[in-house]
Amino acid sequence: MSEAGYINYFEILGVGEDANPGEVRNTFRKKMKALRDSVTDSISEDRRAQFILDMAKLNAAAFILRDQAKRAAYAEERKALIELEKRWIDQAAKSSDPESTDALRREFDGRARGFLSKYVEETMLEAGQDKDVAESSGWNIFYARYALKLLRHYRHLLYHDILERLPFHVVTQPSIDWAERRRSVSAILETAGR
Amino acid sequence: MARADKQAAPKIVNPEDVARSLAKCVADGDIVNLRLLFAPFSPARADSSEVYTDEKYAYLLPAASESGAAFEQALRAVREAATWAHVQRELAAMRPAQLPAELVLLLGDNAAREGKWTSAAQAYELLRIRRKMQEEFFAQGLAALGARDLPRAVLAFRTGVGLGFDYSAFPEPLPQVPQYQTRALMMHGSYPQRPEDCVALLEPELHAQVALDYLLGDSEAAGRLREVDFATRLAFLRELVLQSDPEWEVFAAQFAEACRLTHALGNRLQQVGAHQPETLAEEIEEQQAADPWAITQALLGRSIEGGAWWQYLKELAYEHPAAALFISRQLVGEQEILMPRLRAGSPVAAALGLQGGDAPSAAPKAP
Repeated sequence: MSEAGYINYFEILGVGEDANPGEVRNTFRKKMKALRDSVTDSISEDRRAQFILDMAKLNAAAFILRDQAKRAAYAEERKALIELEKRWIDQAAKSSDPESTDALRREFDGRARGFLSKYVEETMLEAGQDKDVAESSGWNIFYARYALKLLRHYRHLLYHDILERLPFHVVTQPSIDWAERRRSVSAILETAGR
Repeated sequence: MARADKQAAPKIVNPEDVARSLAKCVADGDIVNLRLLFAPFSPARADSSEVYTDEKYAYLLPAASESGAAFEQALRAVREAATWAHVQRELAAMRPAQLPAELVLLLGDNAAREGKWTSAAQAYELLRIRRKMQEEFFAQGLAALGARDLPRAVLAFRTGVGLGFDYSAFPEPLPQVPQYQTRALMMHGSYPQRPEDCVALLEPELHAQVALDYLLGDSEAAGRLREVDFATRLAFLRELVLQSDPEWEVFAAQFAEACRLTHALGNRLQQVGAHQPETLAEEIEEQQAADPWAITQALLGRSIEGGAWWQYLKELAYEHPAAALFISRQLVGEQEILMPRLRAGSPVAAALGLQGGDAPSAAPKAP
């Protein structure tokens, strides 16, 4: 099953799940230096946004993974959410009890939103306020202001990635024929506004 | 008593009303009303107290004589056995309804055809095909551009961009809207200190790209046009301006008039500097003739009582989005106004028919 959408800080930092705090710090510093070296003064708007997002992700990864308690809580929540998604998908496939399936969907939806709010927006902003993290990354109040909208956007994109693979519930499962879609687009362009 | 009667009488929903109102939503590309028809308070539900005969729901039903091709196609889709059975099941269930995908897809296509892009975007998003549909519109737009079918290419790009979704909208993602009034203000947010700060005075290739970015409202979509040659891009830009602003020629005339007034103001200020009025009448005449606001008012085609430059800009950008690309802020004395601006010999302005007047490429000296 795909785990896309459930932000993986081990993968972002490139360390194993058993990495010790020292290893996390060293990797964080190396990665942050490489990231900062990759940008020049004349940076485009798109590149700047990506740079700040990458910086925020590395900050949060170091902030969570260097602390055993935070790391354990994060890993546990993530694992539980992935399992809940699997349970819901399995139950929806059986569709024996629509009401309990819908209750499971609601529970999953609430927890997925909560997880992304906590580990994308809140943690990334909180990490920037940590003295050690901020010293290594150079994160400051201006980055934080800029990142507010950026992180919300990123959170929605992750949520969207999760949503895309879930069973349909607001509409019935569509059957899409892309050859027919191409013809429809062509017909729309032919007749629109005429 | 009447109340008791009303409660006792079971509500009967005419299935024909349900089918025709659903078909109307689908044919009109109206996602809001389609969702309303499945909502708990819908007149289409037997367990709701709302009824089709109520005047406030008259708009949900098509005219008795309704017989357009889109409506007939939608009605056939609604009456298709499996879809109709699903509709009835969902209207009877005491839970959030699951919309029939066949109707949502047809609704999305009709909305895209009608230019109701926010509705189409929502329908395609529900079906999880919005991004792919955008790609398809862009691909067919580029193909049309290759075949020099400019109206089709521009329509494809406008539709593709119109299907955009703003993932950072609060509290939930929403369809993207152009918001020229806001984006024009951002474009002119800083006072231009040097000629190159004026968008209208940019080097033509860059000016055209800025124009496409601003008018399409999607830099990624505008970026796809970089692969075509400059002449084709200019032709695309002209078609884009004309399609999105049918009154562009009106603005072109207003722009020419604003240019004429700008030159008159420049000349007047030079004369004032060189000549001392001898009579009160002369002095008044000079002051009136030198009213810089006449230029901004000419650009907009009317005056705004007590309006500042940014109020004029917002209205101008709303009425003629591309106008923001050929103006700049200008301090005249203690007042800040909007002025027409053209780069001499600019192919961008020429393509948009703005060569008629002699707009200044440098600001007149403040009195």
